[in-house]
Amino acid sequence: MTWLVWRQYRAQAAIAAALLAAFAALILVTGLQVASQWHSALATCTAGHTCGGLSNSIFLGSHAVGFLVIMTLGVPAVLGMLLGAPLLAHEFESGTNQFAWAQSVTRRRWLAIKTGWLLLGAAALGGAVSALVTWWSGPNNALQGNAFYPGRFDIMGIVPVGYAVFAMAVGIAAGALTRRTVPAVGITLAVYIAVRFLIFSLARPHFMTAVTSYFPINRSSTPAGSYWLLSSGYVGAGGHPISIPQSNSGMVAGNVGGGIPVTSLPAQCQGLASQSGRGFTPASYQAASSCATSHHVQAFITYQPAGRYWAFQGIETGIFVALAAALIAVTFVVVRRRDA
Amino acid sequence: MNTAIETHELSKRYRRVSALTDCTVTVPQGRVSALIGPNGAGKTTLLRILAGLASPTGGMVTVLGGVPRQDPAFLAEVGFLAQEIPLYRRFAAGDHIRIGAHMNPRWDASLVRDRLAELRIPLDRPVGKLSGGQRAQVALALTLAKRPRLLLLDEPVAALDPLARRNFLATLTAAVADAEGGLTVVLSSHLIADLERVCDHIILLAASKVQLCGDIDTLLAEHKVLVGPAKDTSALERAHTVVHAQRTARQVTLLVRLNGPVIDPAYQVEDVSLEDLVLAYMGAEVAPEQAHLTTVGEDR
Repeated sequence: MTWLVWRQYRAQAAIAAALLAAFAALILVTGLQVASQWHSALATCTAGHTCGGLSNSIFLGSHAVGFLVIMTLGVPAVLGMLLGAPLLAHEFESGTNQFAWAQSVTRRRWLAIKTGWLLLGAAALGGAVSALVTWWSGPNNALQGNAFYPGRFDIMGIVPVGYAVFAMAVGIAAGALTRRTVPAVGITLAVYIAVRFLIFSLARPHFMTAVTSYFPINRSSTPAGSYWLLSSGYVGAGGHPISIPQSNSGMVAGNVGGGIPVTSLPAQCQGLASQSGRGFTPASYQAASSCATSHHVQAFITYQPAGRYWAFQGIETGIFVALAAALIAVTFVVVRRRDA
Repeated sequence: MNTAIETHELSKRYRRVSALTDCTVTVPQGRVSALIGPNGAGKTTLLRILAGLASPTGGMVTVLGGVPRQDPAFLAEVGFLAQEIPLYRRFAAGDHIRIGAHMNPRWDASLVRDRLAELRIPLDRPVGKLSGGQRAQVALALTLAKRPRLLLLDEPVAALDPLARRNFLATLTAAVADAEGGLTVVLSSHLIADLERVCDHIILLAASKVQLCGDIDTLLAEHKVLVGPAKDTSALERAHTVVHAQRTARQVTLLVRLNGPVIDPAYQVEDVSLEDLVLAYMGAEVAPEQAHLTTVGEDR
């Protein structure tokens, strides 16, 4: 049975291996350049004590390779559409499943081995691409400090493995349900993008309870490392959030956002700020800030700490692998029902 | 004599459509049975149930002493060739032989190679580029390479030209002869003339019901055409079972299943051809109360 899968997919496997080899060569060559560029820039800035603004002053690698790296975001969807969707749909369309089923192999085994190898292939390819991208992006990750940014988080570490397995499973299930390749390909793309978007926007920020830290309004507070900022603002006495209107003039006292508008200050403090007419004098600004602080106005940021990066990678991967398992279970039921 | 296939009131419903209703048939081992019926009569459904590819919604079925099921040991005993002659069009016959070797416990690769060499069918050309007749021969050879004890063929010759059809049936006949009684075949078709040449047993399905089942020679001996004057036939109808009647002003032609000798000298008794017999049962629009009479079990 495995031999049949190999015979059916050896051409695709060869193409995928060739593309992966070409990508690996490009990534290795340019990755070494990026690494040396990064190390020399770091040595220079350390000598001149200018490392603080490094992320604004240099660009690592080339735009073309950087674009290609970002494009690996599409690898799972392509796998699902080109290999997953036709896996069953094309067999049903051309009736070749009848040939396989007429051999001494049960339908269940036929399906298990076909889907098993394809899912394994997807995981391997997704993992290999991710490993290359993660290595290549090491200097950029260190420079930018934004590991949770979706353009980075979604193409590095272990999540691409989960995405690839999920996309393949979507394709296989869509093929089993529609029994036609072209609609299955379309459904695969639509479902993959929709689920990815929903998990990213609705679930991912809440994988773990976010940390909120409070601090005086005239200071700034930056968590260590590549943290993920979810929200920031001010709270008044009793912890009530202070709403900040969209258009406002005369912001006072704050390093978070644009500051607090005067009208949102406690009533007793508004007078202090408005004494100076159109603008603040350093003294009135200071007075208003101190007044607000004494009335328990605080700044806050809500974020996921940098240390949770791998936990988030694990949770995201787990969710997509579980969804893939559910889709494969549906596929088994559909294939057994439709033809029994 | 062992029975290869035995079904009792077998039924299969797909949601609201009934594909097979109370199908009771018996096929003894070593026979070549013709499964005849118009399109949509339930032939494919019956074959798929016998092959273990579909499960019945009612009744009992025994194939080679067991219930057809998704089990490697059962599947290895049964060769099934679906109507569409499913083969991987981009793979050559040689590829199919290797696939079969990996998917079957008993696999006679040399049997396929020899047969295809005899027929001068190349092993290295994609089967999509072979003629329809060659493709059917490849598919049959591959099905026989499993060394099945039961061969189920679903309209394998329907799409073939007369010469290819004859070659295909010759291959089939040779395989049955080689097996020396160890191979039972059920072959569906709506081409009676082809089946008459290779089959010795018949199952007639019409409107999802069995109209006739039994040994062809026995059935032909039991049925006669009676031609006589147009008079009251009620006495005759009491003594025998009238399958089909054709009346003109002067003459009546009856196809009857005899329950004894025909005594009335007014009738001329003639033998019936298989084709006439099949057409009579197919077109008889058998009344429900008569339906059970039309099944002629061989092992009564």
